Amino acid sequence: MGFFDVANSSLVYLLVVFVIIFVFVLSGIFARKAWKRGIEIGISKDILKRVVKQSLVFTLVPSIAIVIGLFALAPALGIPWPWLRLSVIGSVGYELMAADMAASGMGMTLAEASSGGPAALGNIMLVMTTCISAGMIVLLIFGKGIMGKVNKLSTSKSDFAHVVMACFMIALASVFIPGILAKGVIYILVFVTSLIVTAIQGLIVQKYKIIWLKDFILAFSLVIGMASSILWTSILG
Amino acid sequence: MRTSEQYSKEIHRTGRLGLLITIIILYAVPVIICSVYDIFPTFTQFMLSAGGLLAIFIPLTISEVISFTPLLGSAAYLTFITGNIMNLKFPCAKGAMDTAGVTPGTEKADVIATLSVGVSSMLTILIIALGVLLLVPLEPILQLPAIKTATDYMLPALFGALALSLLKSSGDIQVKGVWKAGVLPFILILVINLFVYSLAGLEGVALILMIPFTILCARIIHKKGWIKVVYSQNKGKEMNDE
Repeated sequence: MGFFDVANSSLVYLLVVFVIIFVFVLSGIFARKAWKRGIEIGISKDILKRVVKQSLVFTLVPSIAIVIGLFALAPALGIPWPWLRLSVIGSVGYELMAADMAASGMGMTLAEASSGGPAALGNIMLVMTTCISAGMIVLLIFGKGIMGKVNKLSTSKSDFAHVVMACFMIALASVFIPGILAKGVIYILVFVTSLIVTAIQGLIVQKYKIIWLKDFILAFSLVIGMASSILWTSILG
Repeated sequence: MRTSEQYSKEIHRTGRLGLLITIIILYAVPVIICSVYDIFPTFTQFMLSAGGLLAIFIPLTISEVISFTPLLGSAAYLTFITGNIMNLKFPCAKGAMDTAGVTPGTEKADVIATLSVGVSSMLTILIIALGVLLLVPLEPILQLPAIKTATDYMLPALFGALALSLLKSSGDIQVKGVWKAGVLPFILILVINLFVYSLAGLEGVALILMIPFTILCARIIHKKGWIKVVYSQNKGKEMNDE
């Protein structure tokens, strides 16, 4: 039996579909619990509906990008395994890197992984699972404690506790934004385009009271920002 | 109506149980495949492949948990189970929190983020499944150079769209001027990226170092009165605990 006979076997499909269905149902349970609790604590149905609508609209474009990531992984690892990894736990960037590093540990590139036979597939699957599970294990052990501390901070009467809470967002921006800008001119231009489009939409919402637009600002900015990269690339090469 | 404690207990139980089952069934897939096809690697083979990756991923994923959990609350459970955190789930939850006008860390923010990540995860799973079903007809379209270029630049577009919302606080408690605490960390990370070492892929580790540094900067600036906390239920009343 070859690498892809195992990678695309009905057994792998069966197991993968089972895990994905479980996570789909779990997502539904979380959403339902949140909806019910939202109503209980006085968040209006209108706000909850807007949150759902906005989240769904925003999710479309990044999800399509994830499908593109699937195309990058499928030729090397078959279809079901990347399908599982991108639907559950993984992310486009990490999965490609993890699969590549797992293959290079066996002395081959990811594209050559199939030459290692089914044994190489087994090794890659186990390595990828082990490496990314650390986060979930840490969350399982320490998550509740971290959330309890955050809750204490956010309900604290001290002003500085609220400053600390706000600092998490600021630190996030301080780490990710310079990393993106340092990648080159086109990255800067796409970032600025998206930023300007967001600001303009914000102004339109404020000035003309077009409330529905508020729910689409993030999605529109993302699409226009991404589309602008085609223009910037064609101009600057 | 349930109390906050009751809801918190319930959502943590669901989250932890969900995490535990996910970890078990995720491991079950390769273990069953390796058993059925008799392709278990030896420990040495496994470690040769996993060694470098473990060295990178363990600190990275741990940092992500410590950094994102305070921002996402109990939505962190589902976020870490479904993955694609920075490129999808976190921006989605942040956008939802802004729309609902809730302060991160509060129960309302927790609920909104969980709802947002829940529906987003369901849609992503459906879209990827559709992508698998339509793999053959979709491939030529999604592999077009223009689509490929646009996808490569998703992260700058995403952060451009999020930048303003990241820098200003939302909800009942507004922390005015908190962006000033990010100036030094921003410059430091920019300089490191440009002149020392690209932190691409290591953002989680950088984040865990920058959170205390940003808080330290905020402490100094707050003492100088350049950061103000405004409580919207007490309009016009600005409070400082210094």
